[in-house]
Amino acid sequence: MRRIALSLSAGIWIAVVAVASAAHPPQAPYAWTLPRGFPAPPVPADNPMSEAKVELGRYLFYDTRLSGNGTQSCASCHVQALAFADGRAQGIGSTGQVHPRGSMSLVNVAYAGTLNWANPTMKRLEDQALVPMYGDHPIELGLDRSDNWLRAVEADPTYRRLFRDAFPAEEQAFTSANVTKALATFERSIVSARSSYDRYHFDREDAAVSDAAKRGEVLFHSRPLSCFTCHGGVHFSSAMGISAVMRMEFHNTGLYNLTGLLSYPATNTGVHDVTHNPADVGKFKAPTLRNIALTAPYMHDGSVATLEDAIDHYAAGGRTIASGALQGVGHDNPNKSPVIRGFAITAAQKADLVEFLRTLTDQALIQDPRFGNPWRR
Amino acid sequence: MIFPVAALTILLLGSDQSAAQAPVAQAPATTLKVTGDVATPLTLTEADMKSLPRTKVEIKEEGRGVIYEGVSVGEILKKAGVPVGAGMRGNVLASYVIASASDGYQVVFSLGELDQALSNSDIIVADTADGKPLFAYQGPFRLVTPKDSRAARSVRMLDHLEVVRLRK
Repeated sequence: MRRIALSLSAGIWIAVVAVASAAHPPQAPYAWTLPRGFPAPPVPADNPMSEAKVELGRYLFYDTRLSGNGTQSCASCHVQALAFADGRAQGIGSTGQVHPRGSMSLVNVAYAGTLNWANPTMKRLEDQALVPMYGDHPIELGLDRSDNWLRAVEADPTYRRLFRDAFPAEEQAFTSANVTKALATFERSIVSARSSYDRYHFDREDAAVSDAAKRGEVLFHSRPLSCFTCHGGVHFSSAMGISAVMRMEFHNTGLYNLTGLLSYPATNTGVHDVTHNPADVGKFKAPTLRNIALTAPYMHDGSVATLEDAIDHYAAGGRTIASGALQGVGHDNPNKSPVIRGFAITAAQKADLVEFLRTLTDQALIQDPRFGNPWRR
Repeated sequence: MIFPVAALTILLLGSDQSAAQAPVAQAPATTLKVTGDVATPLTLTEADMKSLPRTKVEIKEEGRGVIYEGVSVGEILKKAGVPVGAGMRGNVLASYVIASASDGYQVVFSLGELDQALSNSDIIVADTADGKPLFAYQGPFRLVTPKDSRAARSVRMLDHLEVVRLRK
């Protein structure tokens, strides 16, 4: 998988989760330390949080033994310094195959209603982890399905301790199912909530953000920009939250309008890839804007280089590509969301909006040793 | 926070200005105007709002309770001379209120649903959240509609209440 996150901040409330089997020494309970305004994320009943499982997941996340040729780990495409994205337009797997889409930030992924860019059926991190591990379309980590790689993991004394602590009730804990459980648990722990925006909003530190950012925030939440329509809530994504029925929203924003049967490039038709419904062509998730300044380039295929370019795309109500194989007027894409209508914006306002987006960068997150590579110690 | 996503979407669908014609957002107003079919049009400042009878409501936002404080809309309408309460009968009930934000967002309430005596309304014009002034993108005034299942009518940056009485 390719997303994750956890938080600690001037925490105001703490929700304690997890526990353990009565037949074994109780595991340390997992404590979400979250700021006011951040409810604890939902956690599957069959994979409760525990400190031991988070720690095991972190070791696995950074371990190149989790790729078929030993060259990549989850962290190869989810880099902490880049808010767990990788800075590339499109991901590159362990054998050099290029992924059609870019690596998504894992920040606050525990709150995501669905995973990936455009898959309404992928809802559990435990399931999603199998895609990069074993998938061959394209090959990402390229692990062999016979799970021989697990024997190398099992032989490592560090892992013998970590697996025992994470799964104390299990005689044979070295299974791929437990690997995905631990990876998912670590990913859920990666919560970003310590940005200057958070200090301004939740801690009421008025000086935490600039006047320009405050002006940008008003633009973000006002017509005609109405960015919040798809990027609302504390996660700045309408596809993230805590409600029982998390919202599953996907949007065609008019990035392409090719002639022919499919208006988007055939390798990236969005939700249509899963449903084969022509009405779903070009529909992708609105990702979180938290740490967005760290996760360029933008859009599902990394085809927009900067935040300024992204704003220009929305201001135009769709992208026009004047020539070449991708030629077309995205503004006129028949599946385009009706909220992507375009707007006028001055250079000063665009600068204010970008300044606001930069307040969503969480420096504490990208330096937090709890999310860092444990093998470097 | 909860944002009026769905309602905004509907309004955006309702008009189709071209990109070049679309207005950019204006700076939020600092007063609340009450106009239309009222005996006494008002322009209320933040200080005026503090001098009116205050009320609090609590709503859930992102799973947590937030206490908004301000003035009930019914109280503001009464100050403008709208016959709320005992006077809410006959064709007065064929009235509605357009609530507008400084960015042009608008929603409509029937006058009856804003009257505490008639409908037990708890809709307020808030100027604080958890005791703090509202952020610029919300205030200085916003509607809070606790009984609505979504915050689509909780107009942020509220700057105008216009009363309209239907005439036959």
